[in-house]
Amino acid sequence: MTDAISLLFSQEFLSRALIVGVLISLCCALLGVSLVLKRFSMIGDGLSHVGFGAMAIGAAAGVAPLYFALPIVIVAAFLLLRMSEKGKIKGDAAIALISTGALAVGVMVTSMTTGMNVDIYNYMFGSILTMGEGDVVISSVLSLCVIGLFIIFYREIFAVTFDENFAKATGTKASAYNMLIAALTAVTIVIGMKMMGALLISSLIIFPTVSSMRLCKSFRSVVTFSSVISVLCFLSGLILSIKYEAPTGASVVCVNIFLLGVLSLVRHIKLANIKISLKCLAIAVTAVLSLSFFIFAMMQGETYEYKKDKTTIVATSFAPYDFARQIAGENAEVIMLLAPGEESHTYEPTPGDIMKIQQCDLFVYGGGESESWVDSILDSFDEAINTVKMMDVVELYEEEHNHSEEEHHHEDGEYDEHVWTSPLNAVEIVEAISFSLQQTDNENAQVYAETTEKYLTELRKLDAAFVSMISASAKNKIVIGDRFPLMYFTERYGLGYESAFPGCSAQTEANPATISRLIDAVKNENISTVFKVDLSKGSVAFTISEAADTAVGTLYSCHVISAEDFEAGETYVSLMKRNYEALKRALN
Amino acid sequence: MSYISCKNVYLRYENTSVVEDLSFNVEAGDYLCIVGENGSGKSTLIKSILGLKETASGHLHFGDGVTSKNIGYLPQQTTAQKDFPASVYEVVLSGCIGRKGGRIFFSKQQKKLAAENMEKLDILPLKNKCYRELSGGQQQRVLLARALCAADKMILLDEPVTGLDPVVTAEFYALLKKINKQYGITVIMVSHDLFAAVNNATHILHLKNKGSFFGETAEYLESDIYKYFSGGEHND
Repeated sequence: MTDAISLLFSQEFLSRALIVGVLISLCCALLGVSLVLKRFSMIGDGLSHVGFGAMAIGAAAGVAPLYFALPIVIVAAFLLLRMSEKGKIKGDAAIALISTGALAVGVMVTSMTTGMNVDIYNYMFGSILTMGEGDVVISSVLSLCVIGLFIIFYREIFAVTFDENFAKATGTKASAYNMLIAALTAVTIVIGMKMMGALLISSLIIFPTVSSMRLCKSFRSVVTFSSVISVLCFLSGLILSIKYEAPTGASVVCVNIFLLGVLSLVRHIKLANIKISLKCLAIAVTAVLSLSFFIFAMMQGETYEYKKDKTTIVATSFAPYDFARQIAGENAEVIMLLAPGEESHTYEPTPGDIMKIQQCDLFVYGGGESESWVDSILDSFDEAINTVKMMDVVELYEEEHNHSEEEHHHEDGEYDEHVWTSPLNAVEIVEAISFSLQQTDNENAQVYAETTEKYLTELRKLDAAFVSMISASAKNKIVIGDRFPLMYFTERYGLGYESAFPGCSAQTEANPATISRLIDAVKNENISTVFKVDLSKGSVAFTISEAADTAVGTLYSCHVISAEDFEAGETYVSLMKRNYEALKRALN
Repeated sequence: MSYISCKNVYLRYENTSVVEDLSFNVEAGDYLCIVGENGSGKSTLIKSILGLKETASGHLHFGDGVTSKNIGYLPQQTTAQKDFPASVYEVVLSGCIGRKGGRIFFSKQQKKLAAENMEKLDILPLKNKCYRELSGGQQQRVLLARALCAADKMILLDEPVTGLDPVVTAEFYALLKKINKQYGITVIMVSHDLFAAVNNATHILHLKNKGSFFGETAEYLESDIYKYFSGGEHND
């Protein structure tokens, strides 16, 4: 437990997340009471979708998404409020229209721009890593404004929430307070969205209020209790997410669900016992506290210390993991962050992963677009750690787009990150890793040098085998009905290719024009095998193989390994040998 | 000068004209019942008096020192209120919202006023109870106490006895009469209950699209419109 807590305060990005999270939870709880009781819960949901759309557009336009989304969401809040007030039946339909509409626009904009799939995933499900220092300042100021305004206008907010007509009749400007609440909600949602995710943020608004309504009998106790619940659930969720390496937003929501269940149960028991008006609060608080203690207790004994008697190497993906493993043998512990079978392009390190990186002796990463999180994490460390960035070691090629007819608006100078797919590059990477490792772990330097030499020979042999096989082949072109991470490989051996998408695209559905282009290529070149990439469903490849009557083969990028292959102990070299066999069949 | 003077007023509801050419006056101490068929514009008129809705044309205003700050309103219950977690005291005290002015907190006098009004309506023992757990009659008393917190001079009630049983309804009417007679507060009530209206009110306003009736209760009892309306009810 102490480790998880000290982790919270020792890691700058985590303490930032902690501060912003607590403030946001507080704001959500306060505003939520009013929204839920006024039957406006769905406005929160609608606004978060609008926020998502706005952030997507902002990111595409290169504007800081927070500043871009804020005014748009506030305007949307006023709009939704007007619609909800005008007619009850129109109101919920209008919210559904606006939220799905905004979501669709967001997805459209995203699909027209590549290279921001990671961002979008973050906006949808949230990430505690996205909290920069500026974000903390803005969030804190805004949250304090929300809390302050709520306290100042508490009595008016109660009057307007309980009975709008009465409040209006006695001269209270009810619509002004409604607008105030809507605007504050908009602000809260935009700030909270980065951490909690657009799809989850509205739960923070709804759950605490509904939970506390199970037991509380006065407005003041609902407000107080839901604030307490909200903050405690956030903290428990955050700690849970650190322990189980789960996304923070989802963890917080799960704790909220659990608590709602407990409180509903307590209410049931209470109904049978009758008359526990004041004690109910005590029971509820106990429930929350016991929940947090339960979590804390589970944390006990869990430590983030690794076998410090051994040198530790952390690698982001499978290829560098395998390289390090081959060099280190039994002399060092090698950790792979991307779990076998995990989607590489939407991967985000968990707090536990970050601890692993911070405590390791050598960190090997690609440095490409899908690992854009690496820089901010390395920056946040007080002490610099030893790293090998694979893209610094080899000669880089720009990601290929000519082969895709789908128009992508792309900034120049975006390099393909799958540098290891050429065995010759692998040689250079292995040399770099080995060099760093020998520096770090002097004692075993001699052993490392020997294993490296052996491994390099193997890689060179592999390279030579590819050279002779491909130069002797009848055909010189392959068609890949998939994204194409093997560019360094094809460049190395002068192999021509046609692919559906560029290397890092998260797309899996090609448009009809792309498919017909690939089918034409297959027919013109008289190609017998269409390839898909390992771990992909290969829907495009299968469509082509059906239309052009070809076989479907699999190429391995060694970026992520499937769980079965990992269990079976496959390596970079063994997977490359599969590529060798597959290509040999396809090209002859 | 009258508390409310209404001259040649036209009212609309969702773009249909509901009341045409309406004129009446409410004086201090009056007990006015507004009756009429469903859709005859009773609630619309109440809302227009309170300034929540605009009139289509004509003159409708307060006089003799009456403003929105010293009239109390008891609206029809909303669905949201049925499960609203608020204590009786919180609801009653919120009646002082118009008196609070620019201050953040309620003053001591305002809190005292809330306690007095709860005392008047016999709901002081319910002070810390949850509003949603009260009976219908108790809820109406709470809302009445809230209206009294807002009102020095006049209260407006929109069908306050809907859904109450006959005994509770009779109690509520007695309470209103007491407020009117003993505390000298002018009462304007929308009602479906024609017989209770003629038994309690000093004045009746019978709303019709054209040719609404306004006058003292005695006059109303003699009018054709009452005879037709009450006869129609008897034949049901």
